[in-house]
Amino acid sequence: MTRTTYKWLLFVRTAIRGIASSPVTSGISVVTIGVTLVLVGAFALLLQNMEELLDQFGDDLRVTAYLESEVSGEALRGLEQRVREIPGVEDVEAVSQDEALERFRASVGSGSALLDGLDINPLPASLEISLSEDQRSAEGMEAVAKAIEGLAGVESLSSGRDWVEGYLRAVALVRGVGVGLGVILALATLLIVANTIRLGVFARRDELEILSLVGASRPFVQTPFLLEGLLQGAAGGALALALLFALFRLVLPGFEFGLELLVGSAPRFFSPGEALIVVVGGAGLGLFGSAAALSGDWRP
Amino acid sequence: MSRPRFRLRGGGGAVNAPRGDGAIRMFHVSKSYLAGSFALRDVSIELAKGEFVFLTGPSGAGKTSLLKLIFGAERPSEGQIVVLGRNIARLGESAVPPLRRRIGVVFQDFKLLPRRTVEENVALALQVTGTPPRETRARVFAILKQLGLQHRRYHHPLSLSGGEQQRVAIARALVNEPEILLADEPTGNLDPELTLEIMDLIASAALRGTTVVVATHELEIVRRYGKRAVRLEGGQIVEDTQPSMPRS
Repeated sequence: MTRTTYKWLLFVRTAIRGIASSPVTSGISVVTIGVTLVLVGAFALLLQNMEELLDQFGDDLRVTAYLESEVSGEALRGLEQRVREIPGVEDVEAVSQDEALERFRASVGSGSALLDGLDINPLPASLEISLSEDQRSAEGMEAVAKAIEGLAGVESLSSGRDWVEGYLRAVALVRGVGVGLGVILALATLLIVANTIRLGVFARRDELEILSLVGASRPFVQTPFLLEGLLQGAAGGALALALLFALFRLVLPGFEFGLELLVGSAPRFFSPGEALIVVVGGAGLGLFGSAAALSGDWRP
Repeated sequence: MSRPRFRLRGGGGAVNAPRGDGAIRMFHVSKSYLAGSFALRDVSIELAKGEFVFLTGPSGAGKTSLLKLIFGAERPSEGQIVVLGRNIARLGESAVPPLRRRIGVVFQDFKLLPRRTVEENVALALQVTGTPPRETRARVFAILKQLGLQHRRYHHPLSLSGGEQQRVAIARALVNEPEILLADEPTGNLDPELTLEIMDLIASAALRGTTVVVATHELEIVRRYGKRAVRLEGGQIVEDTQPSMPRS
């Protein structure tokens, strides 16, 4: 092992010894970081599932162009081709008047007998336009709808734009609240961690003075404190993850059935990679808090 | 009064090293903490490598300030100090620790960590240099053995006598084989018998070529060892007595 390895082993040992020597203040740091990450993580989890819900609905998000009654045959195929060429359009399916009636008949089930009395088919032919993945948004739908609106033979348009707009506003609200809350809590947490580390520096001022006397460099003295913050932060992240998982398992059963019925899949927890980000985020908070405590004239 | 029980091993012959080969050189050094009030005023002195020098004078004479300037704990307000070839007045913050690793310091209040064992306290001086644990343990054991403390290595400082604690502090100061040893009233808290024991240990360090500077107000010790004595009063050198034959 090199001298650097020995030094790092010593730093880790000193950091653990530092945490063990002040379990209460270290515990406060861990819990503070944990609570912050639980709140931010809950928003992240909600946001992630809302966005995934939108993705799942994305396949069903389409613009329907109802056609004038005289459009058929060659004109219909020409219109279909022109719509297909509009940017953002993934696929176009032409639905004739007869097909529309058949679909309607199937959807009303036993009530379809009422349709037998009709002399004419009142349903228009239509083009069902599905959007490419990058256009599955309110703006994307609007852009495609505008391009179709002016085409000859198109009588009216229908899309789920209003619904998507409302949903996206809700997603943006959750994201905004989550980010705002996250920033405020992160700053508060940084201050608490910084003060905890400052207390540690103060409690160990004799040791630091002696280290300085025997020729310890500034990084040699500071690194264990930075590691202390990092370890406390990682522990806080792990605590947050455990609490979030417990809450997820506790709250989910109330919604699981309804969501599965509505969307076809249940909400999901963080993936292993995302869970790691929570822990690394906690470690980062702890590290920055320590760095803030040690910046400037930190010596006891 | 008992004679020394422990003596550091090492090459001798450096006690009367010629002047000019200075380990510490001060040129018109002044140190002021408050405007108009000087802890040191226009001090010029040269200490040769391997020389043993006493700094004497009453409390507040500037002895501690002078030692602090030597190990870079303070910067001079005026003048230049060259320690082991490095100009303290111009030394950057990052250059101070490497210089301190070449200087051992012993204090009146020992400055030991009460929650660390004797071995751990002494090992600190080697750990800051990244010395591997096995080598650290071997060197710490060797110095503790030389100072008669090997059986105390797993004890905590507060369970030791004052003399033993000061020996631990000396072990920590010497384990890195420093080129300069500074001692600030090292026997101030000890009884007369222990005083001689500790002073003999410090004097032994000079025998292997370490420059030793001892600040003390105990003139009896200075007379006993017959070494160069620099007397400070009011921050100024008022007397610089050359070595004489030690009193038996």
